[in-house]
Amino acid sequence: MNKAIYTQGLTKRYGRAAALSDLNITVPEGAIYALVGANGAGKTTMIKLLMNIFRPTSGHARVLDIDSRELAGKHFNRIGYVSENQEMPEWMTVAALLDYCRPFYPKWDGTLEQQLVRQLDLPLKRKLKHLSRGMRMKAAFASTLAYRPSLIILDEPFSGLDPLVRDELIEGLLDRAPETTIFLSSHDLGDIESFASHVGFLEQGRLLFSEEMSVLSDRFREVTITLDYPLQLPEKIPATWLLPETSEFVIRFVDSNYQGDATARELAAMFPAARDISQTSMSLRAIFLAIAKSGRGQSQSADERTVA
Amino acid sequence: MKQIIHIFAKDSRHFWLEIVVSLAIMAAFTWAYPHHWTRNNLGARFYLSTSIDWGLSGSILTLLVPVSWWLLITRVILAESLVGDRQFWLTRPYEWRKLLGAKVLFLLVYLYLPLVIVKLVLLALAGFHPLSYMSGLLFSLLLLTAFLVMPLFAVATVTSNFSRMALIVVGVILCFVAILALSDVFLTSASISIPYSDRLSIPLTVCVCVAAITLQYAARRLWLSRLLLIGFPVLTLALGLVSPGEAMMEHHFPSIAAKQVAPIQFALLEDSIHQVMVSAARNEKEVAVSVPLQASGVADGYMLMPNHVKVSIEAANGTRWTSPWQEMYNARYLPGPQESSVNFEMKRSIFESVRGMPVILHLTFVFTQLRAGQPRRVPIPASDFPVAEFGICTPQLDWNGSQQIIGVACRSAMRQPRLTYVEALWSDDACGATATEPNNGVQGSGWTGNLDDDPAEFGISSVWTTGLELSNSLRDTGQKGRPQEPRYLCPGTPLTFTQYDPVRQIQSDNTIQDFHFPR
Repeated sequence: MNKAIYTQGLTKRYGRAAALSDLNITVPEGAIYALVGANGAGKTTMIKLLMNIFRPTSGHARVLDIDSRELAGKHFNRIGYVSENQEMPEWMTVAALLDYCRPFYPKWDGTLEQQLVRQLDLPLKRKLKHLSRGMRMKAAFASTLAYRPSLIILDEPFSGLDPLVRDELIEGLLDRAPETTIFLSSHDLGDIESFASHVGFLEQGRLLFSEEMSVLSDRFREVTITLDYPLQLPEKIPATWLLPETSEFVIRFVDSNYQGDATARELAAMFPAARDISQTSMSLRAIFLAIAKSGRGQSQSADERTVA
Repeated sequence: MKQIIHIFAKDSRHFWLEIVVSLAIMAAFTWAYPHHWTRNNLGARFYLSTSIDWGLSGSILTLLVPVSWWLLITRVILAESLVGDRQFWLTRPYEWRKLLGAKVLFLLVYLYLPLVIVKLVLLALAGFHPLSYMSGLLFSLLLLTAFLVMPLFAVATVTSNFSRMALIVVGVILCFVAILALSDVFLTSASISIPYSDRLSIPLTVCVCVAAITLQYAARRLWLSRLLLIGFPVLTLALGLVSPGEAMMEHHFPSIAAKQVAPIQFALLEDSIHQVMVSAARNEKEVAVSVPLQASGVADGYMLMPNHVKVSIEAANGTRWTSPWQEMYNARYLPGPQESSVNFEMKRSIFESVRGMPVILHLTFVFTQLRAGQPRRVPIPASDFPVAEFGICTPQLDWNGSQQIIGVACRSAMRQPRLTYVEALWSDDACGATATEPNNGVQGSGWTGNLDDDPAEFGISSVWTTGLELSNSLRDTGQKGRPQEPRYLCPGTPLTFTQYDPVRQIQSDNTIQDFHFPR
């Protein structure tokens, strides 16, 4: 498996405050990796470390097999970066921006550029400073996708955009997905659930997990045990049970390591008097809420938190 | 190269207004500056000072040119700001050498090229052959680069936006003024620069700026670059404060050997006209003392220029005191007896303890000895006249429209002329149309120029103008309403220019026994 992004022990500190601690992530080529977490979790710091905008305090990252600290100049011919906070050359028109960017990239695809302009309905003659936030983001997308980068890194690309623009951008992005790796950050789970192939969760600078979406969906189950008589939770509950709660005849929790039939048999053995044991799959949003509320991750050790 | 041209073209489009404004200001400067020497009827005595002659508009233009450069440099560097983490260009395939190259090209095209043209045009307009001054032209560009362009460029690379840059520039100016003011109040001792510091200042400034710029462009090492840019002037200032003045004075100005004749002798002048004067000094704990002296013994063909003086006193009551080195301004000793004075400041408490009693006064002078060159005698013509190795001079006419010459203003290429003694003969009466000699010549003389031996001085213009301030230019009329009137330089009378070149620097002691500070 080729790795588009690989980090080991990546840490960024500002004085005593750690913005990012001991981050280990592997993003395989061709993946659509979503890095999620609340505001201030360290997503932007992580991306800026990858882009060599910041320098790591310790650890290292490799991006397209290049040490991130050496990323410069022509390396960016293969990497596209769009951020919600990027300072664009506001005095340029959209056409001037595309004209200006074009000579920098040997692989700039003029036909694709025209296609993106049409697809994103870009007003070529308007200056960037006169565009809405959504339009500016579209212009940034067009100037990034047109050279067919091998890796596209997006920092909160959909933040604050109306649904229509967001869908247009996602559509434009997915059109490129077969030929590229996409790494994006978001604090809005709904944005990425529909198309991300991998997901990582950052909380206060620490990576709680990082894995394929399908594995994650399979692993998390909301379990409900219905009893014939009132029963307290066992004193020692597995670490993988999140947010356990009981009412008189019902025990409910989120199992963060659900293993199908094996887990069902374990639960049956644990609660022999159970009238019914049911499990339901969870949305990404529900999973993250469970993790965030429980304040702990799953049992996997930090060293193992890599994408399969 | 393609990327350099591409970024350069983008900056040219983006900053066309700043470019046009800068070029317009430089064009206006080129148009207005020659008024320095083409206005011929201003009344030399009162208006020879170039700053006044130049006028308010000229002063504003002189200020606007560097301001427009500052604007141009700051804007073009900040177009791809090196401070911050949100800039569009950081994640685009810019190569730092090419980005830096594009910025340098921008300055070459829109700052240096117009400046070179301005300098060449001014030289030509002033009557100098531009190609004869290429070394001076290059040196003036080097000075401009070292002391204006490079520092502005370097500061712009460690600044995030235009307003911060403006604040820094204002802050630097205020710091400079504060340092000058504080040194004026607190430093009574004359300072002497570290050996070769003048020569080192250019390469050192350039090196520090280049290092900071390169660090920023190559690796965006912001704090290291800032440390360099702040540390260098602070270190320079600190070195200036702790420099071993005494040792360096001995090194620069060795004492004359015991067997050698002193290059000058001083005797105390004490009569009804000449008195030791004591007045308040800048610092209220000190007094300013002026001792009248008769100087003599300067060898023919030489001039002695005192740089500093150190005063020691030994009083009968056992009081001993030695001053730090103090600067001497504008004193120049020529062969023959010459009345002069030495001025110094001393502690008021010491003065009070020795006033009125006999003291032994030691005066230690450090001099630069200069040798006179071949005098150049030029009969004053009615219009512009060249003076070899000096410049081109213009007779200044009386401002009442009488066509009488009441002074001479000169212009020189790339720098002020070398230190020159100018002599003339004034006429009390207006010169007749055919007169070639004044009836009753009154000797007038004055010094102009400096000892700097660089081929150019720091400045925008390539032409330096100097009014020759000759002594005895006014005569007393004895009338109440108009006590003084100008004297005249008649066409055909000789104007003599003698250039002086330094030959050595020496230290000489003079002792005055039985000296009394006034009661």
